[in-house]
Amino acid sequence: MIRITAAQHRVQQASGLAAVLDAVYEAFEAMLSALEAVQDPASGLFAVLVMAAASAANGRNAVALAPSLPGQPLLAVPAGGRPWPGERPERLAGLVAGLSHLVAGRLSQAAACAPESADRAACAHAARCARDICGLLGTSGP
Amino acid sequence: MTARPAFGDFLAAARDHASIAAALRDTGRREAHVREVTGSLLRLVTVMGRYLQDITAVPGDIRSRVPPPLTAWGRARSTARDALTNAAGQLLPHGGGRRAPDVTAGSELARRLDAAAVALTAGRDLLHTHLTRDPRGTRQIRSEWGLVVCSPTAERALLAELAALARQIAPPCADLAQTCRSPDTAAARAGLHQACGWLTVLSAGVQAAQRHVPVSAAERDLLHAIPLNAPLPRPVLDGSEPVARLYDAVITSAERARHAAWMLGTQPAWSPHLTANSLRQIAATSTVTSHHCQLLFRSLAARTARGGTPGLSAGLLRAAEAAGCARAGWLHVARALNQVDTDTMRHLSPTAGEAADLALCTGRLAYADPAWTLSSGPGHQPRTSQDLAPHPGDIPLALAAAHHACDTVTSLAYAERERIRTAASAGRLLVPTRSLPATMDIPRPFAPAPHPRVYALLCLYQDAAAAAAEASAQAGEAAAAIQAPSCVLTTARAAAYPGLDASAARQRAAPGPDIAGQPAEPAGAVQDLLHRLGITNPDLLGRAADVDRASEQLIIEAARQGSTRLEPPSPITPDRSAASPALTHGTRAHGDPHAAILPHDPASGRQHESPQAEAEL
Repeated sequence: MIRITAAQHRVQQASGLAAVLDAVYEAFEAMLSALEAVQDPASGLFAVLVMAAASAANGRNAVALAPSLPGQPLLAVPAGGRPWPGERPERLAGLVAGLSHLVAGRLSQAAACAPESADRAACAHAARCARDICGLLGTSGP
Repeated sequence: MTARPAFGDFLAAARDHASIAAALRDTGRREAHVREVTGSLLRLVTVMGRYLQDITAVPGDIRSRVPPPLTAWGRARSTARDALTNAAGQLLPHGGGRRAPDVTAGSELARRLDAAAVALTAGRDLLHTHLTRDPRGTRQIRSEWGLVVCSPTAERALLAELAALARQIAPPCADLAQTCRSPDTAAARAGLHQACGWLTVLSAGVQAAQRHVPVSAAERDLLHAIPLNAPLPRPVLDGSEPVARLYDAVITSAERARHAAWMLGTQPAWSPHLTANSLRQIAATSTVTSHHCQLLFRSLAARTARGGTPGLSAGLLRAAEAAGCARAGWLHVARALNQVDTDTMRHLSPTAGEAADLALCTGRLAYADPAWTLSSGPGHQPRTSQDLAPHPGDIPLALAAAHHACDTVTSLAYAERERIRTAASAGRLLVPTRSLPATMDIPRPFAPAPHPRVYALLCLYQDAAAAAAEASAQAGEAAAAIQAPSCVLTTARAAAYPGLDASAARQRAAPGPDIAGQPAEPAGAVQDLLHRLGITNPDLLGRAADVDRASEQLIIEAARQGSTRLEPPSPITPDRSAASPALTHGTRAHGDPHAAILPHDPASGRQHESPQAEAEL
């Protein structure tokens, strides 16, 4: 929960291509961690959470291909990143959907203005993955 | 269930024609012309002989100089082959020349024999759709059913069917040979009579084998169920389908996905279909499919509990529990795959699409919402047990659908495990550099997956495969209890993989030592030959590996005794190019932290270059 919130803040505050890519990479990691933590078969969201986690991994790996992504994380990952036990999947899915919506928007902007073609391609692909997560979790992307 | 011709259709047609021929009254037989019937019987005997040739041909067409010890069925096969050869020899001089295919025979007896020959020929063509020949002329298996076609089980059942056919056609032909008194056909009648005698020999030989090792009804059903190896149409659901249509859709999508899984094994290590996105989608959708199977088995258990069949209900609950274990196994695989990548991205393989279709179809059957999709959120109730199987006669069909789905996720687990092994061996399995310790200074976004991570992934696939196999086995037992149409899946697995039950599957799924940080031990010459022959029996493969090791040891000892200066062949570095893909692909060896490679861009068809390299270009 903390990690999702922190990732959202970082994506909002990121400035410059490298910082945006770094923040988005961490955001996908945070989404992946959160989604995997609440994949409960008893939940009605089980199928979408499993599919969304795969999309988050695809998005993270797409961002990793961007040449402008810093080799090492610019900021340390906040501690206590995993959701606490008893977290309702519906609530967490809503948070992840919101973050993926934000990520898709920032990546679309980055894809439009990145000088290098490899950066643009990576951002565009990762934005599609973020929109996939939005679609799976019930919100429409930009 | 699915509208695909099966071998049994043609076998039944041949038997029907033979039955009518056998039932012809005396007048009908006397009208027949001896030479005409001789020619028609020759056609039929020729086709039967070709079946025998198929049976005795080994995939790979390699025969041993040492004849194998004859079993009861081995003797029957040998007797049948000789009998058909002798029968053809008796008929050939008196066949009256070849009748053109469009010329109908004058007599009913000859017409029926011709029709039976045509049906048998078409049936043989159907069996051959599962087999092919490589450029060297070696027979290869093209589908999972191909393993069944070449199995001893199917061969025994086929011999039994041919013997039954021979029993039907011999009496009317022999009767014609005895009753016809025309002096100018004496030699032809004698030949026809003797040919019928050889058909009786064939039948007797097979009956003798039947007394030792009888062919069961399930084995005959398996032979009859071998389908045409042709793509099934993709099921398209619009939400208005009745539940019976959903049974068919699940089975069709399961068969399509199973075939796609089989085809994965034929793809080379460099296949562009081997992408992390595909691996992830298959794992995610197989998790969902296993979840749906659990819901379906539970629902069917509730349905049968009300119907007064507690034993069946308990069996279905066991299947549900096993499907839950399969779901957990697949979920672990999916999570592990979220931490790896491949050197090609984005592309989704056909198998991934088929696996998604299966998840969708099983979901439509498992949930009450007719518009359910993989992106449907919460609030979707499972279909009620009464709605899942409205009539008692629907229970076997619903069970067959879930059984097919379980069987397919088993096949997918095995196939995907081999893909991971292939990808790792070829250096195509990667991890994001950021996921590695910062002490590993790798100036690339991805690096080869460390051996422990690959080994762990293979172990997870092993567990998922074993759990899915267990679920399929439990479903098979329930299917057998109520004679569900999917019973044939159990017989087919037993025929294709003899000696392999759920517990053996665990052994089969065990990852090799090559990924455990130790050098690989590729298949030796004998084991490789068995692989090419389509042999999958773990015991035989293990014995072959022992033979290979012994032969290598012998060569090494011989080389030492001869004081040769030549390096003895290493058991771990054979001269097999496939085992050294790192060299052929220009990448570095495993374990080198500096061997980071960049993913391959499928659009450009070239490796990604580092920013510096791109600048230099």
